[in-house]
Formats: sequence, structure tokens, C-alpha cells
Amino acid sequence: MSQHLSSREVSQWMIGERTPQQEQHVRQCPECGAELARMEAALALFRGSVRHWSSRQVRIPRPLAPTRGSRGYPARPLPLRWALVAAALLVLAAVPIYRNVQDRQRQAEIARADALLLEQVDAEVSRAVPRPMEPLVKLVSWDFSATDGSDENRRDTTRNEEIR
Amino acid sequence: MIAAVERSASEIDDLDTLVRLHWLRVFRFALASLRDPDAAGSVAQDCFLRAYRSRERFRGECSTEAWLMRIAVNLIRDYGRNRRLQFWKRAQASAIDLGAAGQWVPDGGASPESGAIAKQQLAAVWNAAGGLPERQRTVFLLRFVEDMDLLEIAAATGMKEGTVKVHLFRALQAVRERMGRSQ
Repeated sequence: MSQHLSSREVSQWMIGERTPQQEQHVRQCPECGAELARMEAALALFRGSVRHWSSRQVRIPRPLAPTRGSRGYPARPLPLRWALVAAALLVLAAVPIYRNVQDRQRQAEIARADALLLEQVDAEVSRAVPRPMEPLVKLVSWDFSATDGSDENRRDTTRNEEIR
Repeated sequence: MIAAVERSASEIDDLDTLVRLHWLRVFRFALASLRDPDAAGSVAQDCFLRAYRSRERFRGECSTEAWLMRIAVNLIRDYGRNRRLQFWKRAQASAIDLGAAGQWVPDGGASPESGAIAKQQLAAVWNAAGGLPERQRTVFLLRFVEDMDLLEIAAATGMKEGTVKVHLFRALQAVRERMGRSQ
């Protein structure tokens, strides 16, 4: 091969497509050798400049946020996760129990207050005369047998008879 | 082969390891494609999240890297389509970033003349790569920035090996033409 490499052949050479004749020619031809060297140098410069630029610009991030429960990349160690789940379940179970106890206490208090009120009402209703008039009853003869059959009234009647 | 597949599967299961091993490469490819560090960071993050979420579908038919690159290629393509609507923003960002990156030349004790020529060539490749159609640019960057071979590029892009060669050849022709004009 006596002719120099064409532009097409130089590009093909750079891709790696070359014949033994071309290789032999390049070994013997300073012009073609220089052309190939110039091309290789320009591409090496380009590679170097891209790498230099990217190494200055690159910021390797901290580990990207993993997907929870993803295969091979657990978000937390397994025992810790189970402990958290158990704690959450305990809290969820304890809330209704606590509320139930509070409700029962409140109902018991209401029932106690109701009973006290009823006792007071009963006591007031069962009196024959209002409490402030009770001393007068002791002085006046009074027959309650026809009107009221309560024990207290009966006691008052007996006491009046004795006075008489 | 089985060991490699198992290793890849366990690698994908561990997001920390996945990020640590492959972030730089995905970010670099996104940066070279989009020329916007913020956009490249977003694409890289989306890429790893997508990879992690769809890890059940990874059957180890290709390397983890090729799989990640395939996701990144799709994300960059989608991003590029959306970004066409924001023409002015893109134009502004590209101008700024290219100015910063296209001027870089390693300190090798070269003469001022050869340094100037190197910068000129570098700018020509940057410009040519930026003007390539989407597929040609993707293939070009995977080959000449990420050092992937044709089969790996085929796996990452979903193209056949022959198609990868055609795109790569056209990309190189465009770059050579640009370099020739810049001299």
C-alpha cells in the first residue's frame, strides 16, 4: 500500500477497523503516523478535559434514601423494627382500656351523687312538717294517725299523748 | 459468568455501594452530554434511583455499568427533548460551561505554541461533539470519554454493534472536519 490513508480510513482506524496493509503503511509513513497521532492526541485531550471538569463538579451524594422494606436494604435493623411495631401495638391496645376505666369511674361518681340526692329528697319528703317547725309540733297536740303512717309521726303522736 | 452475575445482583441491591462505585462515571457521562453540572447531578440521581427501583428486572445480561449507562442514556435523551423547550437557558449554560472546560490543557511542559494548538484542537472537539446528533454524540462520548468498547456501547445504547460503528464513524468524520477547519 503506497497511498496515504484517506479521511475515511483515518476515522475507521480510530474505531479499530484496519487492515494489515494499512498497519504496515502507517509504520512506514511519517505523515499518516502524524495524522493518527494528532487525532489520538485531540481525543485524549478531550477525554482529559471532560474528566478534569467532572471531577471538579462532582458531588457524590450521601446514601440516597432507601425504600422502606426494600430487598437487601432494610431501613432499620430487623429487631429494632419489630420492637417499634410491638410498642405501637401496645399503645394502641392500652388506649381503649384506659378510656374504659375512666368511663367507669365517671359513671360510678354520677351514680353516687344521684343516690345521695335521692336520699336527701326522700328524707325531705318523708317529713310531716318542715324541719324548722318541728319544735312547735312537740308543743301542740296533733293526731297524725289518719294522715301519715310513718314511724316518725307515730313517735311524735305517742310523745304528745304522754305530755297530755 | 455466574459469579459475575451474582456479584452484579448483590451490587445493585446495595445502593450505597452502587453509588460509590459508579456515580462519578454516570455523572461524567451526563455532564459531557448535557454540559450542565446541575442537570448532570439530577440525571445521575434519577439514574441510580431508577436502577435501584427496577433492580428486580436486572438479570445480569450485561455489566452493572452498562445497565446504569443504558438508564442514563435514556434519561439524557428525555432531558434533552424537554430542554429543547428552554432554548435560551441551554444556550446560556452551554456557553459558560464550554468556556470553562474547553480551555483545560494539562501542564506537560509544552511550548506556548503547542499549548495554543492543543487548546485549539480541544475547543474544536468540544464544539464538534456539541453539534453532533444525539445518537452520534452518545456513542462518541461512550467510546472516547468512557473508554467503552463497541459491544459495551451496544449494550448501553440498545443498538446493534454495526449501528454503533456507523454512528461512531460519522461522529469521527464530523470531529475531523471540525478539527481541519480550526487549523
